[in-house]
Amino acid sequence: MDEARRARLTAWLRAASGDPALVIEKMALLSGGAIQQNWAVDVSDGRAWVLRTDNAATLAVSHGRAQEFALLRAAFAAGVTVPEPLFLCEDAAVTGAPFFVMRRVAGTAAAHRVVRSETLGGGREACVRALGRELARIHTIRPPRSDLAFLGEPPVDACRAFVADQRAALDRQRTPRPVLEWGLRHLERTAPPPVPVTLCHNDFRTGNIMLDEQGVTAVLDWEFSLWGDPHADLGWLCAKCWRFGSDAQEAGGIGPRAALYEGYGDVDDARVRWWELGAHIRWASIAVDQAERHISGVERNLELALTGHMVPGLEWEILRMVEVRDAA
Amino acid sequence: MLREEPGAADLLATAREVLLNELLPALPPDKAFAARMVANAMAIAARDAGLDAWEPGALARIAALASDARGFAAAIRAGRFDPGTPDHSAAAALLDDLTRARCVVSAPRALGKG
Repeated sequence: MDEARRARLTAWLRAASGDPALVIEKMALLSGGAIQQNWAVDVSDGRAWVLRTDNAATLAVSHGRAQEFALLRAAFAAGVTVPEPLFLCEDAAVTGAPFFVMRRVAGTAAAHRVVRSETLGGGREACVRALGRELARIHTIRPPRSDLAFLGEPPVDACRAFVADQRAALDRQRTPRPVLEWGLRHLERTAPPPVPVTLCHNDFRTGNIMLDEQGVTAVLDWEFSLWGDPHADLGWLCAKCWRFGSDAQEAGGIGPRAALYEGYGDVDDARVRWWELGAHIRWASIAVDQAERHISGVERNLELALTGHMVPGLEWEILRMVEVRDAA
Repeated sequence: MLREEPGAADLLATAREVLLNELLPALPPDKAFAARMVANAMAIAARDAGLDAWEPGALARIAALASDARGFAAAIRAGRFDPGTPDHSAAAALLDDLTRARCVVSAPRALGKG
């Protein structure tokens, strides 16, 4: 961030915080997601903040900064362990893009480190029990909510809405995806009856959850949240494709499924399994999108290119899951 | 053979060994991820280059069940290959074979290999 932007940012933060003496002592780009940039901002009087802003290339399906700020506020108020949201700036003229500021939280979210650790998050069982409690708190947020109006009308039947959304996503693709269609048709045939919808984080998985040795320090990355079936979040976390090679630990590669369910409370396991198949389909579809960004030239990038080559492995898993479920 | 050997698969595999064994240890830690991605890309490309053409046979099998890949996908969505339909097993077997062939290049580990 250049001098002029930093000066504008300082002035803006002084006004937002009501502290005319505020000084930015240090700013450093943290390793962030593919969609956002996160800056560590050290501010006078020992204040440690994070500034979150958009990357140049933003996926169309994710929420903007203002919406993410509103979600973070709602989650914070519901007792979810999230960094406290502080200030929102929707004026792109300050730093070049809208941004918000939240308190900085310590910990690690790096998925491969997390699944290998026996102690992070207070140990495997304690950690996934805590994750269950976090999800239960998220799912206390229910429509209607005027502060979350941007999430749109809640679906009457979240399972059927998911199938319809995924089919619409496939219809936008350049090439047909018979295996994803196979999985979606199975989901349509076996969709459970509707349940009351709640807020779903919709990307609650290892890699997006920050931990220290004591427990969960932050649930991150709220940009895909929606009104849906709460079991979708449990299914996304438990899906084999999000265990980062630690397949025996069914809750996110971190710990046992039973401990996650205990922490959560009332779980309909069959619904979770339905959503686990859905998770593989959704992740495969996202991977196709990411590879298309590279192939189309929108963003030439090796990581995006390689993500496309994850699709066949996900499709193989989808075929195996459908086969087992159809035989049952 | 008119082409000069070693061919694409051999060159990629050999170059990948150099990358992993000689270059990667000498790189600063913050470049290790990029180097591993390059190695991964070379492995995929090497497997692709070493593979016989499997697509014509697959396309012929798709044509026997539906018009083309798009028609096949649409028929699956419409339920034409649901369990209990006459062509269910043929469709399931074809999807398995298509996906296995794609995994051989992209994700051999998904098949329990490599």
